[in-house]
Amino acid sequence: MAAVEVRELVKRFGPVVAVDRLSLAIGDREVVALLGPSGCGKTTVLRLIAGLERPDEGQVILAGQDATAWPPEARGVGLVFQNYALFPHLSVAGNVAYGLRFKRGVDRKARVRELLELVGLAGYERRRPHELSEGQKQRVALARALAPAPRVLLLDEPLSALDAALRKELRGELRRILRDLGMTAVYVTHDQGEALALADRVAVMRAGRVEQVSRPEELYRSPRTPFVASFLGRANLWSGRVVAVDGERAAVEVAGERFSAVRGEAAPGDEVYLFFRPEAVAVGEGPYVAEVERVEYLGDRWEVHARFRGLPLILLVPEPRTPPSGSPFPRPSSSRTGRSGEPVLPPASGAGGACRRSQGGAQPAVSH
Amino acid sequence: MRWRGGAGWALALLPLAFLALAFFWPLADVLRLGLQVDGRWTGDRLSALLADPYVRRLLLFTLDQALLSAAVSLGLGFPLGWLLTRYRFPGKGLVRAFTLVPFVLPSITVALGFILFFGRAGYLNRFLMGAFGLGEPPIRVLYTLWGIVLAHAFYNAPVVARFVNVAWERLDPTLVEAARVLGTGPVRAFLTVTVPLLLPAVLSALALVFVLCFLSFTIPLALGGARYATAEVGVYLFARVYVDFPRAAALATLMLGISLALTYLYLRGEGLFQARAGGVRGQPTVPLLSCNRPIRSLWIGYLFLAALVFVGPIAAVVADSFLRAAPGAGSPTLYWYRLIFSPAWNPFLESSPAGSVGTSLVVAAGATALALALGVAVSWTLHRVRSRALEALLMAPLAVSSVVLGLALLFAFRRPPLAAFGRGPWAIVLAHALIVYPFVVRVIRPLWEGLDPNLVEAARTLGARRLAAFLTVELPLLRGGVLAAGAFAFALSLGEMTAVAMLAGAGVTTMPLAIYHFLSAREFGAASAMATVLIAVTAAAAWAWDRAGARWLGRDHGGR
Repeated sequence: MAAVEVRELVKRFGPVVAVDRLSLAIGDREVVALLGPSGCGKTTVLRLIAGLERPDEGQVILAGQDATAWPPEARGVGLVFQNYALFPHLSVAGNVAYGLRFKRGVDRKARVRELLELVGLAGYERRRPHELSEGQKQRVALARALAPAPRVLLLDEPLSALDAALRKELRGELRRILRDLGMTAVYVTHDQGEALALADRVAVMRAGRVEQVSRPEELYRSPRTPFVASFLGRANLWSGRVVAVDGERAAVEVAGERFSAVRGEAAPGDEVYLFFRPEAVAVGEGPYVAEVERVEYLGDRWEVHARFRGLPLILLVPEPRTPPSGSPFPRPSSSRTGRSGEPVLPPASGAGGACRRSQGGAQPAVSH
Repeated sequence: MRWRGGAGWALALLPLAFLALAFFWPLADVLRLGLQVDGRWTGDRLSALLADPYVRRLLLFTLDQALLSAAVSLGLGFPLGWLLTRYRFPGKGLVRAFTLVPFVLPSITVALGFILFFGRAGYLNRFLMGAFGLGEPPIRVLYTLWGIVLAHAFYNAPVVARFVNVAWERLDPTLVEAARVLGTGPVRAFLTVTVPLLLPAVLSALALVFVLCFLSFTIPLALGGARYATAEVGVYLFARVYVDFPRAAALATLMLGISLALTYLYLRGEGLFQARAGGVRGQPTVPLLSCNRPIRSLWIGYLFLAALVFVGPIAAVVADSFLRAAPGAGSPTLYWYRLIFSPAWNPFLESSPAGSVGTSLVVAAGATALALALGVAVSWTLHRVRSRALEALLMAPLAVSSVVLGLALLFAFRRPPLAAFGRGPWAIVLAHALIVYPFVVRVIRPLWEGLDPNLVEAARTLGARRLAAFLTVELPLLRGGVLAAGAFAFALSLGEMTAVAMLAGAGVTTMPLAIYHFLSAREFGAASAMATVLIAVTAAAAWAWDRAGARWLGRDHGGR
């Protein structure tokens, strides 16, 4: 039984459909990230689960019970707000203890101490929120949400107000706390790094719908739509057509060239995108030639923007090597499969595939 | 809509039900008496009223004095706004604070101050006669149209000054700089850039001052008498002096219509007049004392005139309260203070002076409590339900003059269910609460809107019901605002005389009414002593209001 489940949720704000027939189940002790660009409805989903908004259609199910009509205070969810929403008139201890006021038989003092130790703020009990740094506020917000022992923790972009270094540090700490407590959690973010690092599964949202729910590595390797492919990391997406299918593999024709890719659900004749990650392309001796347009130095690597028979191509060269410049592009070396003569583009395993080209139209095809 | 049914609606219904019983129903009585003859709706009473030459004169005079008052207020107030915006000088903070004073200064004390200062035997005339050896008092504005206009200007020039100051501060100074760079001189730049941009604020201020003066009661009553009566005074005279209720109701109906129309026009216009938000930079200021001679003497002359109008009357009241009249010069005394705190029966008041002080305090405390409860309930409702119609209903007493409200409650307390409360201070408490609570809403509501809505949501997800979230999060955070509104409500209630004049039964007197009675009996010393106490208490309340408000606004309250 899922700890949290939403079924066919619809939420409209006037003419805007913020959440559009969204269904998602979160298992017990599972951390699921809702990842998407701003305005895709991810925060609204969180607020619907918390009971701060009422859905226009659909259900919210908590531990097997229909909670759609429950008020927020009856749901037993903890919510960490993006701006923390700490009570300015209460001390740190008062904030953490707030949710315990409505619970009986809790040793409040002990619980507050326990939680402040958990988030590393023991000794800050009497401080006021305005005396805290942003990172400390974030920790208090987390401790406050955890204090009444919620069955689900909801986090709304909890790290977005912090600077980059602090964000990374707190990300690790948050992960440790969630794992240690065995929390069921829903984590809303627009930062793919956060989503991939923290979550057991990631749900990529776009325009009120879930495009794909997968484990992080699967999401990265085998995106099912072009949106997912390009939202996470850099991606090369070439439109082509499936010309032949052989077991788990498919042959895709792009720019007069045939590439072998993971088949997915593709059938012969489907219009598909051939997808592969920049890092899957090796540079050196090989059968294909591409023309370099510009090169960006990124410190640990070079990012090369090139064209292969008119198609845009991004590839990465690790830093110790000097990137190719000018044209013609040196002939690429053989791909990672090592079989000489096989195309470098796309590589042979694991890093690419094909996504459906038109939404809901042709069947998706192909991955390597 | 952020609305969650059930208990919430019940809470919205509470203030509505209260207003229905204590405000709309009594008001309907006035309309019925004004518009019905033998149970039939008719305009007969209104047309008879308008045919009456006395009433016509009342209305014309009301219009005249309101227009003149607005013009004089502008003339006196605009330079003050200018001075506060563009110049630096020692004591500027004091002058700025002084522009707040009229908001809380009881109008009966102003009327008293005008009589003592500008009267035929007032301080100004005595000084001028002594200084120039005149046999006749040179200044004769009192008990004429101009006396009323000047007293209204005392009240409203600071309002104009504040409007001008706020609008001017928001103007982008680069606009004038651009005009100067394009080749205009300072005067032309002022006339072609600054003035047009300030015009909306000026018109808005003029409209507000016109409405306030049109509905003014205490000042024309005390300074004009029956001869220079305004329409509001007319309602009072018909109801309380001639005891002609149908005529009073008819005139009140007419005034109600006019005040509703004026309020509507003002609110409509306010949106149109809204000045564009402007510069990031503040207005450049010039030190007044380093200006060249003619400009400096012009401003100093203005400040002298302003001090004469604004400070003179108040100083006269305070001075008079410590002087015992004697031929020639008075001698210092505390006699008047002993008199006003004495529990002995006083023939002018038909009660004891100490009793009137007590009644005032009790009424002000009761009205403050009631206004706070009502104000918080209304703010809560308007915060949760966004509806213009509901807002108009819940804020309706703002558009009804105190005299008309007093008349309505006078009727209401004569029949069940409110008759059960008798004609004692209860009616006055209710009237004051109804007059004051819209101001409470105006203080609290913006603070409430400024609270981060996530705070309440956080409380809800942590297990608080809606009411618990209100009590443990919103109310503590609004405490500063509630205290400020309470101090303001207390000051207003203490100085309010209109409703008391309309409602008070025999033997019930409050401080402003006692001042009026002493004034009518030419007992200036007693009137001044009581007015001084009233000024001190209201000034303290205003100070508390200002302090609480400032402290509140300066604090981090969780909004981002």
